[in-house]
Amino acid sequence: MLNYTLRRLLMVVPTLLILVIFAFYLMRLAPGGPFTSERPLPPAVMANVLERYGMDEPLHVQLWTYVSNIVCCFDFGPSFSQKDRSVNDVIAQGFPVTLTYGFWSAVFVLLLGVPLGIIAALRHNGFWDYTMTGLAIFSQIFPNFVLAPLLVLLFTLSWGLLPGGGWNGGQWQYIVMPAIALGTSYMASVARLTRGSMLEVLGSPYIRTARAKGLPERTIILRHALKPALLPTLTYMGPVFVYMITGSVFVDVFFSTGGIGQDFINGAYSRDYAILLGLAILYAVLTFVLTLMVDLLYAWIDPKVRAGLS
Amino acid sequence: MLSVENLHIRFRTGDGMVHAVNDVSFEVGAGRQIAVVGESGSGKSQIALAIMGLLAKNAEVEGRIMWNGQDLLAASNREMNRIRAREIGIVFQDPMSSLNPYMTIERQLTEIVEYHEGLSRRDARARALQVMDAVRISDAKARLRAYPHEFSGGMRQRIVIAMALMCQPKLILADEPTTALDVTVQAQIMQLLADVQRDLGTSVVLITHDLGVVAGFCEEVVVLYGGRIMEEAETIALFDQPTHPYTRGLLSAVPNIKDPSDALTAIPGSPPNQHRFPQACPFAPRCVDAVDICRDTLPALRQGRACLRPVEELT
Amino acid sequence: MILSAARRRLQSRAFAEEQAPEMVASRSFWADAGQRFMRNRMAIFSVGMLGLLILFSIFGNLFSRWSFEEIDWNVLGRIKEDGGPSLENGHWFGVDELGRDLYARVVQGTRTSLLVGFIAGPVSVLLGATLGALSGYYGGRFDRTVLGAYTIWLAIPYIIFFVVWQAFFGRSMSQMIMVIILVNWTAGLLIVRGQVMMLKNREFVDAARMLGMSDTKIIFRHLAPNVLWVVVIYTSLVIPEVIMMESLVSFLGVGIQEPNTSIGALLSQGASTMTFGTLWQLGFPAAIFVIAQVSLFYIGDGLRDALDPKER
Repeated sequence: MLNYTLRRLLMVVPTLLILVIFAFYLMRLAPGGPFTSERPLPPAVMANVLERYGMDEPLHVQLWTYVSNIVCCFDFGPSFSQKDRSVNDVIAQGFPVTLTYGFWSAVFVLLLGVPLGIIAALRHNGFWDYTMTGLAIFSQIFPNFVLAPLLVLLFTLSWGLLPGGGWNGGQWQYIVMPAIALGTSYMASVARLTRGSMLEVLGSPYIRTARAKGLPERTIILRHALKPALLPTLTYMGPVFVYMITGSVFVDVFFSTGGIGQDFINGAYSRDYAILLGLAILYAVLTFVLTLMVDLLYAWIDPKVRAGLS
Repeated sequence: MLSVENLHIRFRTGDGMVHAVNDVSFEVGAGRQIAVVGESGSGKSQIALAIMGLLAKNAEVEGRIMWNGQDLLAASNREMNRIRAREIGIVFQDPMSSLNPYMTIERQLTEIVEYHEGLSRRDARARALQVMDAVRISDAKARLRAYPHEFSGGMRQRIVIAMALMCQPKLILADEPTTALDVTVQAQIMQLLADVQRDLGTSVVLITHDLGVVAGFCEEVVVLYGGRIMEEAETIALFDQPTHPYTRGLLSAVPNIKDPSDALTAIPGSPPNQHRFPQACPFAPRCVDAVDICRDTLPALRQGRACLRPVEELT
Repeated sequence: MILSAARRRLQSRAFAEEQAPEMVASRSFWADAGQRFMRNRMAIFSVGMLGLLILFSIFGNLFSRWSFEEIDWNVLGRIKEDGGPSLENGHWFGVDELGRDLYARVVQGTRTSLLVGFIAGPVSVLLGATLGALSGYYGGRFDRTVLGAYTIWLAIPYIIFFVVWQAFFGRSMSQMIMVIILVNWTAGLLIVRGQVMMLKNREFVDAARMLGMSDTKIIFRHLAPNVLWVVVIYTSLVIPEVIMMESLVSFLGVGIQEPNTSIGALLSQGASTMTFGTLWQLGFPAAIFVIAQVSLFYIGDGLRDALDPKER
């Protein structure tokens, strides 16, 4: 198991390297840049600026500097657009915000989605089952960028219950709407996925065996069916959590939370490659780490996979 | 002890009703072994599931299944749970999929007696070890902690049998217990069932498509075709003098070791369409002895055979 | 992401294994599926709705008195009071915050969104499916490279591609379609790869190989028909997702160049002005979006019911 973990972690390094090189060249080769504006800077000033950011050197040298700074000192360089701030500062300020409501959103997704899926499966074709189909359609009609304005319309403009944006140090009132807007569609997916796998498990021969043992229904579901039924949900939650963090770009922007999504979009507008690249790496690392965690968790639960790893 | 009376099982499906079991009756006395034989699709597994109260939700059942004076078809799920495992155990066909892959063998065995007999974890474990011995799994102690995937098919079937034996039930339903196994393992498992039966005096209903398996094991045979009983007889009599054309067909499809020159013959045609309740002898379309009357009259079961033609006139 | 439950099912190994024996490339399979689909009332109704939407996006302009970029100076200062939907001044859906006719803009936006969805969606799936088929068929190093690229690709936030692509090529609709295809090339890759890996060991492929058929011929003549149904289902899932992706990036401001617009851009503008009480600016685009998404959902559902052997 340890071996496997180490091997997987080692795999991440070259993958990340390829990603960095690819993204670096992609962004640098694009015409225009952070310092192109409507009114062109005088050549002398421009040269000065470029030199300050080390952008006068050939690309591969810049890449080398960039990567070695990350490796040696965990330094992602200065931001091009935000004066006197480094990418590290930007991430350190924005990431906790996104992570906070992302976490609560994930809690919301699991705490509502999983039970809903299980109940729908147990009451197959019953009220909760139809509720779920409704929810699935609802989440398709109201993706976060439609849902968020709707929530604001209701909770802020009509009823005045919750603030329509901002963060305010992460008080709960400021977390509710971003978390719901971010999580609803995933919640529907989780519920649907859980329902499907629960139905499949309940129809499996080993559940029939458990029934033939004369065990009470509760034991059958909790002891025999729950674990296998949740495995697909578990695999799904890894990438979903990353999607939720990355997909939060919209939520950050709409609710002005000050999370990294806002920095990302600002970086995109101002062509601030340092920030874009830094955030891309952050997202990628998150993706790899979470996938690995989910795989390990999976192996821990599924004895067959566990046996395959050691 | 167990008596199945006029059992009908139908399934509502997207393509209409499927009549899986029609008017089947038989009895199992204490300590007896009877075999229910038929081709796949003859509804024989559904009978076992009906006895356990485990039919699929889209099933409709008619008739009675009497178990020591109680009608199992009328019993609630709670009442059934007192009978399942404790009084009637079942061994399913495929040991690969009928064990929970996420639980240790120990937990799957002990939970039965913990629940039904209120044993402590420790006593339950002791019982599990005993039963593992009884089904001849060596090194039981170490193997209790293993998961199903660590066992071979034959071993898993032993574990499934051990499960059925945990509460020492009075009746064991064995639903094609050897079909999914290698031929050599098949013999071992059948031997094991026979030994268990002898040692514990349990009654056994063996459900199988293989008449060869029946011969050495069961005292009585019920032959099903298209969900109906074709013939019902003591095993010796049946093998000696089959009185139904279908049984004869089945027997000539079993190789005879004593007389290798005996040609194997297959029964022509395929199993019947069960979408309509049969109005005539279901076997008539494939029967070598069928005459006109067979194609429009439903034969009743008389003296252990459901055939319109007298025995003497059969080819 | 919305339909990921269904998508995950399609991608799972177990699914591929379970379906393999059921597969039929025969004509009657498609005829049967067609019949099953026709029996699904909700799906047929949705096809009708979608058809109406398409007609609206093509011919809607015939009923418009204004063009989508012309500013109506009469209402500009008084949008909240006079800019609402009205039969008198010809702004059937009212005007947007700049005094442009919302009806004409909705027609134009619907056209953009549908074009993006129905071109970018199928093309990305075809691209991914082809790569997946090759990857599954040849395996080995090629397969590992494709999967590696797949992993890296998914780890990069896709908005970066929009930003960079626009820096190179601008923000026209055709560029939009291209960059969406580029971002989504991974769609359909895994399922088709899984299916092909299953199928390539089946007897009919062995037979074809023994007859001396070339790999290309085997892939396109023998394997492709057997995975077509999966591709069809998958495409029906990807089209609404692509429409949504376009809407989202337009919402975030990296979408199509003004004065051209899309449903997402209109939603974004409508949402930003809703505090001023001009709710029609959100309502009409939202209604179109809802109709499109709901119809696509039920069409996808109907296709799944009709084609997936397990749902039957």
